[in-house]
Amino acid sequence: MSNININALKTNTYDAIVIGSGISGGWAAKEFTEKGLKTLVLERGRDVQHIKDYPTTNMFPYEFAHRGELTLAIKNENPIVSRCYAFKEDAMHFMVKDKEHPYVQEKPFDWIRGYQVGGKSLLWARQTQRWSDFDFDGPKRDNFAVDWPIRYQDIASWYSYAEKFAGISGNSDGLAELPDGEFLPGYPLNAVEDYFKEIVKNKYSNRHVISARCAHLSKPNQVHYDQGRGKCQNRVLCQRGCPFGGYFSSNASTLPWAAKTGHLTLKPFSVVESVIYDDAKGKVTGVRVIDSNTKETTEYYAKVVFINAGALNTNLILLNSKSKRFPNGLGNDSGVLGKYVAFHNYSARISAEYDGKKDFATDGRNPAGGGYIPRFRNVFKQEMNFKRGYAAGFGAGRYHETDNAGVGSSLKNNLLKAPLGPWRVDSHMMGETIPKESNFVSLSDDKKDSWGIPQLNISVDYDENDALMKKDYIEQLTEMFTEAGFKNIKPNIESQSPGLDIHEMGGVRMGHDPKTSLLNKWNQLHTCSNVFVTDGACMTSTSTQNPSLTYMALTARAVDYAVKAMNRGEI
Amino acid sequence: MERRIVIKQILIMAGGLALLPSCLKEAGKSTILLKNINIDLDQENLLGEIAETIIPRTDTPGAKELNLHLYVLKMLDDCYSDLEQKQFVNGIEQLKDFVHHRHAKSFNKLSITQRQNILLDLEKSKTLSPELFAFYTIIKQRTIKGYLNSKYVMTSLIKYELVPGRYNGYFPVKSA
Repeated sequence: MSNININALKTNTYDAIVIGSGISGGWAAKEFTEKGLKTLVLERGRDVQHIKDYPTTNMFPYEFAHRGELTLAIKNENPIVSRCYAFKEDAMHFMVKDKEHPYVQEKPFDWIRGYQVGGKSLLWARQTQRWSDFDFDGPKRDNFAVDWPIRYQDIASWYSYAEKFAGISGNSDGLAELPDGEFLPGYPLNAVEDYFKEIVKNKYSNRHVISARCAHLSKPNQVHYDQGRGKCQNRVLCQRGCPFGGYFSSNASTLPWAAKTGHLTLKPFSVVESVIYDDAKGKVTGVRVIDSNTKETTEYYAKVVFINAGALNTNLILLNSKSKRFPNGLGNDSGVLGKYVAFHNYSARISAEYDGKKDFATDGRNPAGGGYIPRFRNVFKQEMNFKRGYAAGFGAGRYHETDNAGVGSSLKNNLLKAPLGPWRVDSHMMGETIPKESNFVSLSDDKKDSWGIPQLNISVDYDENDALMKKDYIEQLTEMFTEAGFKNIKPNIESQSPGLDIHEMGGVRMGHDPKTSLLNKWNQLHTCSNVFVTDGACMTSTSTQNPSLTYMALTARAVDYAVKAMNRGEI
Repeated sequence: MERRIVIKQILIMAGGLALLPSCLKEAGKSTILLKNINIDLDQENLLGEIAETIIPRTDTPGAKELNLHLYVLKMLDDCYSDLEQKQFVNGIEQLKDFVHHRHAKSFNKLSITQRQNILLDLEKSKTLSPELFAFYTIIKQRTIKGYLNSKYVMTSLIKYELVPGRYNGYFPVKSA
């Protein structure tokens, strides 16, 4: 018996374990394996191999039974995920169905998940902006949450490191509030986006419209070809998985790169039940895994564990990792674990038309999606009746607009020779929300999932600050659109629940003080030195930027620190 | 029964709208497998004629040749509520009555102009029954969408590019 145990211990022992294979888990895998550590990546879903497992990627619209639409049965069975823009006939196989993985909504929260190798990195919107010190300094300056234990200079070189490998397209815009990076050529703005940029520049000293920065290979470098990736072909069918590797995903980039080192073991169908804390050793020895098919439990061991399960699932794993030393969840002496969850307020849009620039239309497709307006409220000082601010997307396009009236050959002719309509412009807000103790996740007392793990209670809501900010967004964009001579301006104040932004963050926040935070400045648990969290759960505040690039940089930085600390014998 | 399931799966795998081999057809039944609605062959043929009236053959194929009426039925069967499905099917019968009342003939015996006038009257009427309204709205919208998204149109008339490989934000066009 003891021999068997010893063998099991040996075969199940690695240098590092990474829980999750999404955008941050993929980076952890790449960094550990490149540094020569034998690394186990645990993924709760099935394997999705680059290209081979993208079943819809080369399908034409007419090859889909419902031409891309969802059937009513699927919508009725999946009211939550059906609200997500990417849940359509071409990509629904990459998204969790409501019934498969239930959770408890103490308040309405659309939890959008991708349980497969690569996670949501297959599906993300690929927008990548750096944070600046106006973001990292936010909680301290404006007196909310806790002070970030890092500043821009701590992460700047890691942004560069991540950008060079992932491939980020953008322009150097010279804005203090949105630092430039290591860019591949930016995608151009079109005629009306450029026009709006000029109008905004002339009218407002502190507002800018720039080309959206995105994780697409506009002009690949050798390091991208070495990953087996090629130039983005402007398909803009990214949610299906890209056969060219034109955008960054774990599947196209970090995971195959890690596999090439020979140090990677990837185990799909591995649901992590908990992280194992050894009271005698005073650290974590490994993780307990349930096979999602057989429900068999196995333990895996390592010197260091990175939890990259996706922000809320990382919270769940830590809350469920109870020991004598940590009866309320691993690292949770402070009681802060699961609290101060925040997100991005995406609940307003505004659209309009423009009668000018009729000499131009667009040809082909823009993977960047158009323009980006960095946060301009409360940047340099507090000036509004709300805290923080919002960034905004801005795009313009012209379409052949059909006249569907009538029947017969005249209708047919109208459909085939539809004239170009006016330019149509559209913007959406991306508001910073303030992390609060009252926005939290916790374990359900009575409800369990199919593997016997407690379901997650989610209790997250908007607040008065969000409402004031939203009002300002609508007012300001209306003013800017009016200034540009746009017509038929239509605000759309959607009633979408938190979660649908798919930017949930926090619960395992970084901070200086173990009494008020879980992680130190290296994303390491204050009270358990061999556990790190570098996904969205670590975020102390949300700022307005799309967060994935920051997760990539924080992950590479944390692995670098962890390996050095291991070499020093500290871990 | 087993065989029907297998065939259904083949249809799903093929990912497109496919016809059952005619040897499997039951007399008087619709030519495609429908899960939620009952359509007989007469009704299906009538839908074919209506779709063809909406988008007729000219020097290029029309609705019937592109099986757009079967796409309409597929969408009706899978993507609409019970109520809309019932309204649609009842709407077909109301249309038959309407045609008979006006011309004392069935739709497929009418001239093209008569057929077009029937549909244009439905389109313009502000006093349609909910059934006729649902019927006409669905068949019109779906025939148009099915046409624009058909393989024929997307490969021969308005080419859909799966791999554009380019973006030009200042594409010159003649201003209207």
